[in-house]
Amino acid sequence: MKFESLITCVLTGLVVVSGYSQEKAIDTTMVNELQEVVLTATRTKRQLSSLPLPVTIVSQEVIKQSGTIRLNEILNEQTGIITVADESGFEGVQIQGIASDYILILIDGVPLVGRKAGNFDVNRLTVGNIKQVEVVKGPSSSLYGSDALGGVINIITEKPKSDVLSGNASYRIGSYTQQDINVDIKQRIKKFGYGVFANRFSSEGYDLNPDTAGQTVNPFENYTFNGRLYYDFSDRFSLFLSGRLYTQYQDAGFTANTTSLEGDSEEQEWNGHVRLDHKWSDHLTTQYEFYYTNYNAKEQLADSASGDIVSDSDFDQHLLRPEIRTTYTFKDRSKLTAGIGFQYDQLDRTFFDKQVDFNSQYAYAQYDTNLIERLNIIAGARFDNHSEYNNQFSPKLALRYKITDVLAAKASIGYGFKAPDFRQLYFDFTNSAVGYTVLGYNVALEKLNELQAQGQILDVVVPESSLQDPLEAESSIGYNVGLAYKEKRWNAELNLFRNDFKNLIDTRVIARKTNGQNVFSYFNFDEIYTTGLELNTNYRITDNVRLSAGYQLLYAFDKQKEKQVKNGEVFARDPETNQTVVVSRSEYFGLVNRSRHNANFKVFYDIVSAKANINLRLLYRSKYALFDTNGNDLIDDYDTSFVDGFVTANIAASKTFYENFTLQIGANNLFDYTEDNIPTLPGIQLYAKLNYQF
Amino acid sequence: MKKLSILFLALSTVLVSCSSDDDTTTPIPVKSEKISNLEAIQTGGQGTGNPIGGVFTKFDFETGKITTSDTDWDVAFRGTNIAVNGGTVTGVAEEPARNGNAAAAVVTGTFAGVTSAKDVTFSQDADTVFAIPTGSDNGWYNYAGPPTHLISPIPGKILVFKTRNGNYAKVEILSYYQDEDTSKKSQYYTFNYVYNPNKGETSFE
Repeated sequence: MKFESLITCVLTGLVVVSGYSQEKAIDTTMVNELQEVVLTATRTKRQLSSLPLPVTIVSQEVIKQSGTIRLNEILNEQTGIITVADESGFEGVQIQGIASDYILILIDGVPLVGRKAGNFDVNRLTVGNIKQVEVVKGPSSSLYGSDALGGVINIITEKPKSDVLSGNASYRIGSYTQQDINVDIKQRIKKFGYGVFANRFSSEGYDLNPDTAGQTVNPFENYTFNGRLYYDFSDRFSLFLSGRLYTQYQDAGFTANTTSLEGDSEEQEWNGHVRLDHKWSDHLTTQYEFYYTNYNAKEQLADSASGDIVSDSDFDQHLLRPEIRTTYTFKDRSKLTAGIGFQYDQLDRTFFDKQVDFNSQYAYAQYDTNLIERLNIIAGARFDNHSEYNNQFSPKLALRYKITDVLAAKASIGYGFKAPDFRQLYFDFTNSAVGYTVLGYNVALEKLNELQAQGQILDVVVPESSLQDPLEAESSIGYNVGLAYKEKRWNAELNLFRNDFKNLIDTRVIARKTNGQNVFSYFNFDEIYTTGLELNTNYRITDNVRLSAGYQLLYAFDKQKEKQVKNGEVFARDPETNQTVVVSRSEYFGLVNRSRHNANFKVFYDIVSAKANINLRLLYRSKYALFDTNGNDLIDDYDTSFVDGFVTANIAASKTFYENFTLQIGANNLFDYTEDNIPTLPGIQLYAKLNYQF
Repeated sequence: MKKLSILFLALSTVLVSCSSDDDTTTPIPVKSEKISNLEAIQTGGQGTGNPIGGVFTKFDFETGKITTSDTDWDVAFRGTNIAVNGGTVTGVAEEPARNGNAAAAVVTGTFAGVTSAKDVTFSQDADTVFAIPTGSDNGWYNYAGPPTHLISPIPGKILVFKTRNGNYAKVEILSYYQDEDTSKKSQYYTFNYVYNPNKGETSFE
């Protein structure tokens, strides 16, 4: 609590200080900084500051100075974005309180696949060769279709500009024998350009709980390779080709009770991306794009004593997506963008009867115009026709009104959806130790009949008819309203958000088994909302000292449960007496893994004379709960799975010498904060990195 | 002064006699008790490879005690199963014969909030079905699964019984672990109960 007030004070202080400087600076000539360009928000180049949507950009410079090497680390340092690890250690992002399942991850505008139980592990991505990371908050299905409910994260790679061979090679070593090696080369020779990138990342892992057998994180090593080619056939045609490979090998052995298991898990991902840019005229451009990706994960565990294979799982997903999009620029600079595409998605995995596939066709259009000089409007919509669920129509409208030269108001509303995934439709899994069964919705009836025929079913608790209508896509409507203030030395941005979700897919019991366990299947039921505000301020004290502070306030609740609580229908146990008590509204904490407060404070200092820079980033996350512990299916103050609020501090310092060499030293988690319930956060991690740039 | 005392004495006598006259119509107050560590050991079952077995521990609301009587019991416990002395056998191993007309129901509320059995719909044990449903989140408990495997009585689930003698009782299970400590052995019931000793009276107050 103390820390929360501290953060509030700092924030308020900052706003006040900035307020004063604003008065002084008000007559100075307009902004002379480089304007940051965003691609993700509109699929055309737009200035960050002119956009009507909440967008965060993380530049290569910030990534390098911060000493981050994986995407999860740098995302975690952005306001309103946190990473949440699931049971298998996959780190997914949460934006505006919306879980990883509902956030689309792109590289150069094309989607990455390979989610485990909906969670996309952003730890998979190295940040060694990226130009910038763009995060668009709020539903973006009007351009990107499924999964873009909470927002879109797009990783933009760098295009070579210079005809001199340039690049860098670096080696970093840190605590837990964490090693990161990068080689990045790029060059442009007249019409031809190329970029080659390789990364190796490895660690011995770590153990947060030495009392228990096995490590928290087992040793692993992974490699990322990326090759890109650029060729301009003429002024009108240019080609982009990109191939990427990611592969990871991790020891998966562990000891449970007295049994020790050994084995390993392997992940492999391929991406192939071809794009032809066709410039018909100054007004009309078309992009022809073809994309293919494959994500493959294997894990095998054997009993070390007997050699018996205990578990063997496979996950093999393919996605193929051709798309054509065209942008017409009108005389008044309004832009009309339209696209059509086709997507083929295929998954073969353990616990599926057979390989399953989806296909969908889609079309979208977007009009970006200034109705009057001060008012920018973006209106767009997309239609998705899908083989497995109802067609989706996803509209979006965004407005930005320039109140003065430095102040603008923004508002947007959009629809987002997420198609039921393969697991929710085709899973057929029985836990061998405990005996419960989980069935995908589309196979539930058939499998239930099989179980019944085998005499495993005591009774079916839902009517058969409730398993016949197709599962609906999960959907949300998101609202964002904000103000943006931008002066020469400082800027501040306030955004209020609300996301209303419906038809969320969760499991429910459909039958009881004779062994006392249940059969679960998926169905649409939850309606939740997340709402709050986000405040970001940046202040440049001098040309060399930058301060920034960010804060997110979040309320995330299940509407139905909120109602039940209000009606006094939810109970908990008094920990003293074990007797039932009624849970009051103020005791209903909200959804799991959601913190009411998130804040960050950063200082970046360039010491020009010494060719050095140093920075400190403080991140605060308030208390949150991991799971229900008292059987009432929601998080209340009586639950015991709360993780108390905590601060992590990251610090990094770099110095360039002999022109081409940069030495960086740093410490992540300087305060050495650890908690058994946060397996992805080891104690203090020290590192040193040597970079050679040419 | 003395006169006054005599008057007072006389008055008291009258009052006393009045109240003793009423004795025949005033009900006996309800009985509130807590039973701790009722042992309900189940043998065999999951993970052991052996068939489920074990004697049901029988409980009699009238005496408020565990009993081994074949007839004078209302409710019996073994593992997470709770049997009532009414209806027929369910078919599980080693269960007691039903020879009474007891019945049970699970109602939702706080223990104090369940003030009467008046509007409760009771049921009895039957072939393959216990009156108090078995299974996680189905009757009185929730099974947490791995890694804790804890059995927690669902908050807000109050068991209401009609005893074999036609009396009414309500029960709140507080814990399934020895000394209400989840780090100790399971299959030890601790519960609060309120029993109305007046036959046919549904009130719990």
